[in-house]
Amino acid sequence: MSNVILFNLTTVLFGVASGLYLGALYAKKDGIAVAGTWVCVLAAVVSTAALGLRWYESYMMGIGRIPVTNLYESLVFFAWAVNLFYLIVERKYRSRTFGAFVMPIAFFTMLFAIKNDSSIQPLVPALQSYWLHAHVITCFIGYAAFAVSAGVALMYLLKARQEAAKATEGVVGLFPGTKTLDDLVYRAIIWGFPFLTAGIITGAAWANYAWGTYWSWDPKETWSLIVWLVYAAFLHARITRGWHGRRAAILSITGFLATVMCYLGVNLVLSGLHSYGGG
Amino acid sequence: MVDEKRAPAPMDRVWSFFTSVKLAIVTLIVLAATSIFGTIIEQNQPPEKYHQVYEDWAFALLDRLNLFDMYHSSWFLFILVLFTVNLSCCTIDRFPKMLKVVRNPRRKLDENLEKTLSLSDRWKRKGALSDWSGKYADALSSSFAKPAVTEDGGAVHLYSEAGVASRFGVYVVHTSIVIIFVGAILGNVLGFKGYVNIPEGEAVSQVPVRGGSRVQDLGFTLRCNAFSLETYPSGQPKAYKSDLSVIDGGRETLRKTIVVNDPLRYNGIWFYQSSYGQAGGATAQVTVAKRDGTPAGSLSLAANEPVPIAGYGVVRGINYDRNFQGNGPALQVAVEKPGKPAVSFWILQGRPELDRRRDDTLVFSFGGLNSKMYTGLQVAKDPGVNVVWFGCALMVVGLIMAFFLSHQRVWVRLSPGADGRVEVVLAASASRNRLAFEKKFERILTGVKAEGQ
Repeated sequence: MSNVILFNLTTVLFGVASGLYLGALYAKKDGIAVAGTWVCVLAAVVSTAALGLRWYESYMMGIGRIPVTNLYESLVFFAWAVNLFYLIVERKYRSRTFGAFVMPIAFFTMLFAIKNDSSIQPLVPALQSYWLHAHVITCFIGYAAFAVSAGVALMYLLKARQEAAKATEGVVGLFPGTKTLDDLVYRAIIWGFPFLTAGIITGAAWANYAWGTYWSWDPKETWSLIVWLVYAAFLHARITRGWHGRRAAILSITGFLATVMCYLGVNLVLSGLHSYGGG
Repeated sequence: MVDEKRAPAPMDRVWSFFTSVKLAIVTLIVLAATSIFGTIIEQNQPPEKYHQVYEDWAFALLDRLNLFDMYHSSWFLFILVLFTVNLSCCTIDRFPKMLKVVRNPRRKLDENLEKTLSLSDRWKRKGALSDWSGKYADALSSSFAKPAVTEDGGAVHLYSEAGVASRFGVYVVHTSIVIIFVGAILGNVLGFKGYVNIPEGEAVSQVPVRGGSRVQDLGFTLRCNAFSLETYPSGQPKAYKSDLSVIDGGRETLRKTIVVNDPLRYNGIWFYQSSYGQAGGATAQVTVAKRDGTPAGSLSLAANEPVPIAGYGVVRGINYDRNFQGNGPALQVAVEKPGKPAVSFWILQGRPELDRRRDDTLVFSFGGLNSKMYTGLQVAKDPGVNVVWFGCALMVVGLIMAFFLSHQRVWVRLSPGADGRVEVVLAASASRNRLAFEKKFERILTGVKAEGQ
């Protein structure tokens, strides 16, 4: 299927972009990072085309549906969202050093994706709902924002350690200041949090429409709540002095680990209502 | 000497405990951490299942801690109540103060305030102070927002603001959480959830309530006319369909074919397609004709049930084969005529003419197996659900207010300078996204400064 070829190409492009961003950090040459940006833009075009093509191909097979319904599709959609969110951040903050910490997330997600079944399967009755679109899109924009936040939080911790040691040399010396990093960790979360909230609400609305219960403490639901609670704690921590910076960064990384658990762990480790763990 | 600094009264200490952000952070983290247990330990399973997994001592311990139904346990409920009390107290404590601040903003740009504002500019103009204040008020209206004018000892202060709502976003979110809890409690107290199987052609007017022995009267009758299963060419399920009728007051008042994700609703009670299965045994459809071809009725044969045909004998369906000797579905029929030994023979669904070869007064043809299905329906009544949705919508609105709006304030002070000219100071602040506001500030400043030049 040609969409899969395009997704494979996307994987390569994400890998190249990650390599360029990391190389730029080590060689201290911004020109290499500029090339990384262009590779990311190309990857955005290719992966968007691949998603569109996959959607179209599903129609050609007579089972037309949005390509976000199994593990393979959700992973490529997540990587697509991370890449796009990253490009926006890079443009807004005018720093290409984030790429070395964010693009590998997209790259490894794609590597994981292509190990899964990539065939287009028809929708089982439970997934045949318009809520699917709203639910998946809101959740994944949220997840992508949290991924970016966690990548930057990691940069913050490295930078803060260096600043504490009063050193400026090395790769970390090229990072934006801790204030900017701290601000970006926060900013990514204030984008992610409303989307996660909307994702949980649309999921609840859907569950209510399909089963008559908007909340049943299913492991997936519970983990989404755990993620929500961790980021709620983060947002409250920000307004209390002393919880800025280091602790906030740790909460952001914890939140992202919980997100990964919610997204993948629940399906791979626990049992529940969401289908894509079976594959 | 009397010590003026007394220890805070006990009530004040309780209040400041419940209104602290620290308590909120701790409660949020404790809720998150404890919630994990219930995702690792399967909830609400029969005890036998737990005994297979856990040693006796572990079972006793987990049972003691209510970890087999933790989300409904008293200790988890206690944390939820603490969480609700905390956010309610925070709102009660801070909302009126915020309202006061917003209603009575600092309309005057005094020197203390000026020092705290990082965005500011000053210049001088020749002419009458009142002329300039009028011009600048107009300029501020067109480039930002209509200002309030305050005169104070010869000086004129202009104050305008935008995005005040952002200050209230957090209280809207807190209130929405309380509303969602209220909706959930309403649903639990006033509603019910149940499950019922209805065989095709049959009807129910009561449903068993989940997690109890209670039976709920519907107040009407629900009939399942038919159930069908559609599959994709690959054999995967495509749709489960139940054709349902509501019979109320002796007549059919609603008929709808429901599928998963498209329930039926009547009198506030919802019916969701949830399961299906075979109801009782299958019956074989057999049509009967005379040798000359005139029809002689049809039979519906349950397995081994004798069916008499007047003037002929007794017919039974005794065997079924999905693919009889490679010829497709077939039924084995036994016929007993009075005073004669029983005979049995196969009739093929795909080749009805073959039975003519049997030298008999009647010819049988097999129309296929008819299996009666039942549909399994989730039944729910939840009068609190719309309250929950209202709370959810409010939460999204509150989050947008809190995160994407910014309370922006601009002050202009005009005062008579020592050299006879008018001294002008313009200063501004934004509650969030200051980077973006700096650009806006530049535009406002250029707009105001250019006025009257």
